[in-house]
Amino acid sequence: MFRLRARFSKNEDLIFISHLDLMRVFERAMRRANIPISHTQGFNPHPIMAFATALGLGISSAAEYIDIQLDEEIQTESFVDRLNNVLPNGLKIIQCTYISSKEESLMAVIKRSVYLVKVSLQTPISKEELTTELERFTGLEEIVLIKEKKKKGRKNQKTVQHVDIRPNIYSIELLSLEEEQAIFKMNLAAGSVGNLKPEIVIEKLMELTQLQINLESMRIHRLELFKEVEGTFVTPLEDLKSI
Amino acid sequence: MNRLDIHDILFRVEKPARYLGNELNSYHKNIDTETIRFGFCFPDIYEIGMSHLGMQILYHLLNKEDNIFCERVFSPAIDMEEEMRKNKIPLFGLESRQPIKHFDFLGFTLQYELSYTNILNMLNLAGIPLFASERGEEDPLIMVGGPCAYNPEPLADFVDIVILGEAEEVTLEVIKDYENMKKKDDFKRSDFLLKIAPIQGVYIPSLYNVEYHQEGPIKAVSPVNNSVPEKITKRIIENLDEVFYPEEIIVPYINTVHDRIMLEVFRGCTRGCRFCQAGMIYRPVREKGFDRLKDLTEKLLANTGYEEISLASLSTSDYSKLDKLVRHLIDEYEKDKVGISLPSLRLDNFTFELIQEIQKIRKTGLTFAPEAGSQRLRDVINKGLTEDDLTNAVEKAFSLGWSSVKLYFMIGLPTESFEDLDGIRDLALKVVDSYYHTEKEKRGKGLNVTVSASTFVPKPFTPFQWEPLDTLEAIYEKQKFLVDGLRSKKITFNYHDAKTSFLEAVFARGDRRLSKVLARGLEVGCKFDGWMEHFDFDRWMKVFDECEIDPAFYANRRRSYDEILPWDHIDVGVSKDFLVRENEKAKSGELTVDCRTNCSGCGINQGFIGGIC
Repeated sequence: MFRLRARFSKNEDLIFISHLDLMRVFERAMRRANIPISHTQGFNPHPIMAFATALGLGISSAAEYIDIQLDEEIQTESFVDRLNNVLPNGLKIIQCTYISSKEESLMAVIKRSVYLVKVSLQTPISKEELTTELERFTGLEEIVLIKEKKKKGRKNQKTVQHVDIRPNIYSIELLSLEEEQAIFKMNLAAGSVGNLKPEIVIEKLMELTQLQINLESMRIHRLELFKEVEGTFVTPLEDLKSI
Repeated sequence: MNRLDIHDILFRVEKPARYLGNELNSYHKNIDTETIRFGFCFPDIYEIGMSHLGMQILYHLLNKEDNIFCERVFSPAIDMEEEMRKNKIPLFGLESRQPIKHFDFLGFTLQYELSYTNILNMLNLAGIPLFASERGEEDPLIMVGGPCAYNPEPLADFVDIVILGEAEEVTLEVIKDYENMKKKDDFKRSDFLLKIAPIQGVYIPSLYNVEYHQEGPIKAVSPVNNSVPEKITKRIIENLDEVFYPEEIIVPYINTVHDRIMLEVFRGCTRGCRFCQAGMIYRPVREKGFDRLKDLTEKLLANTGYEEISLASLSTSDYSKLDKLVRHLIDEYEKDKVGISLPSLRLDNFTFELIQEIQKIRKTGLTFAPEAGSQRLRDVINKGLTEDDLTNAVEKAFSLGWSSVKLYFMIGLPTESFEDLDGIRDLALKVVDSYYHTEKEKRGKGLNVTVSASTFVPKPFTPFQWEPLDTLEAIYEKQKFLVDGLRSKKITFNYHDAKTSFLEAVFARGDRRLSKVLARGLEVGCKFDGWMEHFDFDRWMKVFDECEIDPAFYANRRRSYDEILPWDHIDVGVSKDFLVRENEKAKSGELTVDCRTNCSGCGINQGFIGGIC
C-alpha cells in the first residue's frame, strides 16, 4: 500500500463545481490517467482518496489537498504529469509526495485556512476609517452567530444555537482598498474542529460595524491550509513523518 | 462575436456547472464565415438532456465534420432563466456562449409531449419568432426529430424541418444541401426547404395543407405541389456496425440522470407489445456486432474514465450475443471495477447466471414489468408473459439474496376491468408470499416490493392509436382502488398524476389546430409541464377554453379505422393494415408471436431493408 499526498489548485470555471462533482472528476481522471488507485472492498467499490476540506461553490483555491492510496508505486513526477494531462482547465496538481501510512488524515490535521476576500463597499470610505472599523470588529470579545438547525425527522421544528465565532477568527487584515473595492486577508479556523466560512465573517462584519457591503459582489480565494505542529503552522506537505 | 458574460450570474444560480459548457470531450471550435453552426437543443434541464444518448451521438457526429460546429442548448432552470431575462442575456450555445439566434440550425429533440412548451420558451428566450411563417432569412432553421416527431403536427406551425427516423445520415445530407445553396448569393429559405423536401426522412410541414371536416376530424392532407412527396417515409440506418458511434462522450461535472456510458447494442424490438410506440416506430431490429461493441467499449472507457457501462436497447436480453458480451466485459474490466448495468431485461428469458456475475462487481436493484395484472389483459397487450414466469423469476431472485424488487404496471389499458386491477394486487401479494417462502438463510433482509402504475396513453403508430384515454374520473377511481388494495407495510405503491397523462394524450395524437393552444400556453406561463412543481392543469384547461378547443376530442375519443389521422401522411414502415389487425387481435386476446420466431407481416420488410428483418 502506498499513500500519496498532493496539493492542487481550483480556478476559473471549475470553481463552479461542488465538492461531490470534484470527487467524481478526480475519480474519472485517475481512470483516464491509469493511476493504480486502490479501491474499497464490498458491493460498491470506490477509489480510496480523501480531501482535506470541502470548498464552497464559487470559491477558488491555490491550496487544496488530497490523499490517495495506490496499489503500486509510481514516480511522483509521473503522477503529476499524467493527472495534469487529463484534468480539466482550472484543476492542476502542483506538488505531491509519498507519505507514511502512519500519517494522520488530512481532515484530522487541518486547523486553519487563509483566504483573500474581495468585496464592494456601498459607501465611500477611507482606508483609515475602514481599518478602524475592522479593528473595532476584531476587538470584540464575542461575535455571536445564531444558527438555526432543523430538528431531525421533524418538519417545521428548529433548534436555535448561539455560537461564538470570535475564537475562530485568528486575523483579518485589509490588503487594499481601491474605489470602494476592498480586499481582506483572513486567517480562520478550518477542519473538523470549528470550521468558519469567510462569507459568515463578512456578514457579521456588516452587521456589527457601520460598513455597507454589497454581499453579492463577494469573491473568495483560498491561499493556504495549515496544520499545527508544536505551536507553529505549516502546510500539510511539510513536517511529515519519515516513510 | 464575443462570449456572453455570465460569470457574475453563475454565482447566483443553483448548480452553475450546468452552464459551463467545457466538460470533458466537449468541442470548442474556431468560428469563421464558413462555419455552419448547429444548436442541438434539448427542451429540458441539463441533467435530463445530458442523459440522452441521441444527443451524444449527433453532437459527436456533426462535430467530426470540420465545417460544422454543433453546440448544446438546454432549457435553463427557472432561476437561471430569471437571471437571463433580467440581465438581457439571450439563450446561448453552451460551448461558445454566443446567442443561438445567429446559428444556422437549431435541432430540437422531441422526447416527450410535455416538453413542447419548453421548446417555445427556448425560442422566446433566444429572441426568435415562434411561428415559422414569422421568421426571416436571418433566423435559424428550426428542426425537430426524435420519437414524438413521428406525429409532429401540434408543432407543425413552429418548425421548418422535421427529421423522421434515424438522423445520422439524413442530417448530414440536409446540411450538405444547405452549404451548397448558401454558397450562392440568392439563398432563400423557401427554396432550400423545397430542395430538401424529397429527401427520405425529411418532412417540411409548411409544404402540406390540412383540411378539416366540420365535425372535427381531418378531411385531407395534401402537398402544395407535385415536387413534394405525398407520403413521407422515415429514414433508417441499414448497418449498425458501419454507422457512426461516438468513441468519446461528454462527461458532465454534475450528476445527471444516466451518468454512465451508454452502449447501444441494437435498435428496434421484435416483441410487438401493442401499447409500445418504440416497438413499432424503431423497426426493424438491427444489432451491433460483438467485435464492434468490444472495440467501442475499450475506447469509451479510456476516453471518459467512467466507472459504469450500460447496455442500451429496447429489450437488452434479446441481444443475440448478450452472454458473450457480458462475460467479455466482466473478464476485461472487473479489475478496473467497472460496473455493468442491463436495463430493460425481460423476465421470461432472464439470465440469472449473468446477473449474478454482474453483481459480483456492483449490486443493483431488480425491476420487472408485467405491465398488466391479469393473464387476459397481458394477452390483450401482447405481453407474452405468464404469471409463472414472474413467480419463478421472483423466487429465484429472493433465493439469490435480493430483497427489493420493483413491479411496473399500466392502468387504463383497453378492455381493462377491476378484475384486472385485482390481478395487480394479487401479483404483488404473491411476490410478498414468495419472499417469506424463501429460506431465511438465503433471502436478503428487509423486503420491499415497489409497485408502480403509470397511466396508459395511446400513441400514434401503435395498434392502440384509435383507442380513447380513460377519463380522469376513471383513472382516479382505479388509482384509489389500487391504493386500497395495496395497503401493506411491505409494499410501496406509486402512481402517476393523471392530469399530466391527459395533456400528454392530447398532444401525442394532436393536429395542427393545437399550435394556437401551445402558443397561448406559453403566453400565460406554461413551461416545464413534465415537472409536478410547475405543471398547472387548471391553467391549461383555461387555455383550451380560450382557444375554443376541446381537449377530450384528442384524448378521450375513439377513432374509427377509416378516419384520417393527423400522422397518416407519414410512413414509419409499419402498415396501417397491420395495426388494424393487431387491434382486432387485441380485442379477442389473441397473441402475435415474436418476429424472431415468425414474421407477423407488419410491412417493415417492404422496401426498407431488402426483405429480411
